[in-house]
Amino acid sequence: MKPLILHGHERSITQIKYNREGDLLFSSSKDNKPNVWYSLNGERLGTFNGHQGAVWCIDVDWTTTKFMSGAGDNSCKLWDCETGKVIGNIVTLSSVRTCMFSYSANMAVYTTDKAMKQACEMCIIDIPISGSRVSSILWDNLDEMIITGHESGEIYQWDVKTGKKINSTKEHDSLINDMQWNKDGTMFITASKDHTAKLFDAESLAVLKTYKTERPINSAAISPIADHVVLGGGQEAMEVTTTSARAGKFDSRFFHLVFEEEFARVKGHFGPINSVAFHPDGKSYASGGEDGYVRVHNFDSSYFEYNFDY
Amino acid sequence: MAKKKLDERSDDSSNQSSHDSDVSNGSEEPNFSDPEGYVDDISDSELLGDLLLQKPKETDGYDTVIVVDGVPQVGPDRLEKLKNKVTKGYIFLEFSNPFHAAEAVAMADNLKIDKQHTFQVNLFTDFAKYEQIPEKWDPPQPRPYEGQADLHHYLLEADAYDQFAVVTAQGQNVQIWQNTLPDPVVLEERSNWTQTCIRWSPLGTFLATFHKLGIALWAGPNFTQYKKFAHPNVQYIDFSPCEKYLVTYSPQGDPNNPEKRLIIWDIRTGQEKRSFDPDGPSAWPIFRWSHDDKYFGKIGNDILSIYETPSFGLLDKKSIKISGIRDFNWSPTDNVVAYWVAETKDVPASVTLLELPSRNEIRKKNLFMVADCKIHWQKSGDYLTVKVDRYSKARKEKNEMKYSGMYCNFEIFHMREKEVPVDSVEIKETIQAFAWEPVGTKLAIIHGESPSINVSFYEVKVGLAPVLLKQFEKRSCTNLFWSPSGQYIVLAGLGANGGSLEFIDTNEFLVMNTTDHFQMSDVEWDPTGRYVFTGVSFWKSKVDTGYWMWSFQGKILKRINLERFAQILWRPRLSTLLSDAQQKEIKKNLKKYYAQFESKDRMRQSKASKELIEKRAALMEKFREYREENIKKWIEKKSRRLALRNNIDTDELGADTDNVEEEIVEFFIKEEIIPIE
Repeated sequence: MKPLILHGHERSITQIKYNREGDLLFSSSKDNKPNVWYSLNGERLGTFNGHQGAVWCIDVDWTTTKFMSGAGDNSCKLWDCETGKVIGNIVTLSSVRTCMFSYSANMAVYTTDKAMKQACEMCIIDIPISGSRVSSILWDNLDEMIITGHESGEIYQWDVKTGKKINSTKEHDSLINDMQWNKDGTMFITASKDHTAKLFDAESLAVLKTYKTERPINSAAISPIADHVVLGGGQEAMEVTTTSARAGKFDSRFFHLVFEEEFARVKGHFGPINSVAFHPDGKSYASGGEDGYVRVHNFDSSYFEYNFDY
Repeated sequence: MAKKKLDERSDDSSNQSSHDSDVSNGSEEPNFSDPEGYVDDISDSELLGDLLLQKPKETDGYDTVIVVDGVPQVGPDRLEKLKNKVTKGYIFLEFSNPFHAAEAVAMADNLKIDKQHTFQVNLFTDFAKYEQIPEKWDPPQPRPYEGQADLHHYLLEADAYDQFAVVTAQGQNVQIWQNTLPDPVVLEERSNWTQTCIRWSPLGTFLATFHKLGIALWAGPNFTQYKKFAHPNVQYIDFSPCEKYLVTYSPQGDPNNPEKRLIIWDIRTGQEKRSFDPDGPSAWPIFRWSHDDKYFGKIGNDILSIYETPSFGLLDKKSIKISGIRDFNWSPTDNVVAYWVAETKDVPASVTLLELPSRNEIRKKNLFMVADCKIHWQKSGDYLTVKVDRYSKARKEKNEMKYSGMYCNFEIFHMREKEVPVDSVEIKETIQAFAWEPVGTKLAIIHGESPSINVSFYEVKVGLAPVLLKQFEKRSCTNLFWSPSGQYIVLAGLGANGGSLEFIDTNEFLVMNTTDHFQMSDVEWDPTGRYVFTGVSFWKSKVDTGYWMWSFQGKILKRINLERFAQILWRPRLSTLLSDAQQKEIKKNLKKYYAQFESKDRMRQSKASKELIEKRAALMEKFREYREENIKKWIEKKSRRLALRNNIDTDELGADTDNVEEEIVEFFIKEEIIPIE
């Protein structure tokens, strides 16, 4: 399995996302310029120029016409996907950490960091959030609910119409770095600094499965076609210099969704993986690392032939 | 300043108290006299028993006096000297302090001064003790017999599974596992079982745990405490090869008995046999045991001291004088020691084989230009290797010898042949490590400097010079680990940047597997040579501690990542009781047994995989039910989703057939320029 290595960023990758059809792959990094690539061959289609600080989060709407990014320059920008022009700019009072379009893309949500004497806030629906800062976010598939993952390891469910908290749970001991939906939006997977990833039921917030590793997990994704999950992470970036690359465990790790057993690893990054994403057709996946590279992997036939006995 | 203030304050308070007493003096004094008719019915001992204990006794002050009996009785014929009196035949002597008195007793008691007279010396204070001996003597009651557990219980395991012990640091939790198939099981687990590490005895009978106050041995089916050996601050222990004796060494010593830094104990009775106070730092073990527990020895300045058991006295009452002796070691199978002597101005260095207790010199080999020697016996005692570090130039610098142009010789002694012939192998590079095949004729050597480190295998044959069988070049290993049954060897790189592993079959020099266990600190073969553990110990590294289990062929069997894992040790096994003929018989019929074992293994394996499959099937079934429920809900909500996305179905990638736009994108893949002629 020879990956495509996308080399366009000058600094660490912060997030990668496929559009709904999977023909395009969006990536953001600390170098201020989100990129968009052809997922098929890794050719760069363009960049979104305008941010003045590290871009922390990105999202693309279901029609691939609008692109959103939140950055450390205290702004959340809305872009025209085709032209790469800014069509909306929201100035915030602190860094934008997470953002996501709603299912219909008529609404969007972003959250800001608790910094510079500002409380952590979730917008479009202006509700100040007490407690720890939001570190990851998801919209449900009916534009009715938002799920936030927090620095403390807590997960909250919010009603969009009333702005009220509906439900909450604390299953992780540490920061939740990433949350991603399964294909139909009834379950989501979390990736936490506490070395585990967990599968949750979106409605009840009940833990269904737990995937354990020896390193902090920065991102996790669920395959749209198989009962597989992929986890990306590794030794924290600030500790990497003190250990060798072999001890860092910067591998993408594949677990069986139901049995919680690890069955494969993909090596390649020489720093921790910050973001992973499956192609919507499930036949390839991409990982973006602290090393500044995005690697697009097309699965070999042996991957599709591999089956667990049960 | 602060101190001064404090002083002032204390002055103030004392003034205060004196002032107080003034006040009480000023008031009327209370009446302390007993009322009339008062009968004192409280005895003194009841009232102030603690003070009475300190009441002076008649013998106080006499503890410096000793009594010497058995002094010649001298008649009046020696009148002049003794002023006309028959002496009584005893003397009282007073010393300056009780310590000297005790010393005099120890020195002069039972001293024979001539044929008829022997001194009986006692402390004067002892007489009171002897007077109080009861007239009637009661024979001591025999203690009820305590049957001991079967110490070799673990060897009776039907499938001959081996055991291993795992220690976790910070809490010193110790687990004893049995290496059952397909998964090992825990037999015993106790937290705080030891305070540092553990040791197995050489035959595997006892588990030794280290404690602040000494060593405890555990044995039997449930690991009950067998014996305790009190030796405060003990740090090193050593078992004699037949497990009869235990040597404990406490470098700091017992605060109450500072001279007892090294103690030899009888394991069966738990009694102390002899203690030593070794001087100066020396390599552990200080005492080295002969293979049959009959002798043990240590080297001193120009002497080799051999002691014998069970008397624990010096063999023939004197040490062997060998000037310049530097190191020695016992043969693992015979009562033969090999020692080497450093070179002096006129005498070359030499290696000598000495038979004991006869003190016969079996063989002596002189060596020239020697900087250092290492004595290494093969496990079965067939060969002895002496690694000789030699120099081409030496000069003296501030009383320290500086050597240059180093190279290395291996002197190989054929112990089982007449006259003990010696072969030499010369290696021009630095030696990193070397080891004999425990059963067999091969010697493995790691030599060279990083990054070009090579591993060479030599074979030794009767009447032939050693042959280089094979050399593996550019390896990243630091240590050699032979299988206890020979033939297979693991080359390992240990330490912070190590972790390389190579499993080699030395019959055909086939590298069976090359792999790694990053930052590995330990490699442990099981006693049968079928399994290998590699471990990353918490004592060496703080991350990714744990132990991995490999087959002898280098196939990974288990990866156990255990937080704060510190130590893993296989329990040793007694050597087989079967005779050579019986072993041969088994080897001949191996096919028969093979089939039996194979079917047994298969049954276990299939049982285990059946359990796993059942477990997975149950999980899958549960998950499937959950998913069905969710998918039903999801389908119910489809209309609402469609409403949100302009009635375009996006549930599946290809669901929305009406709105698909086909776009052909051309990618530039390769440019070829073909010149046309």
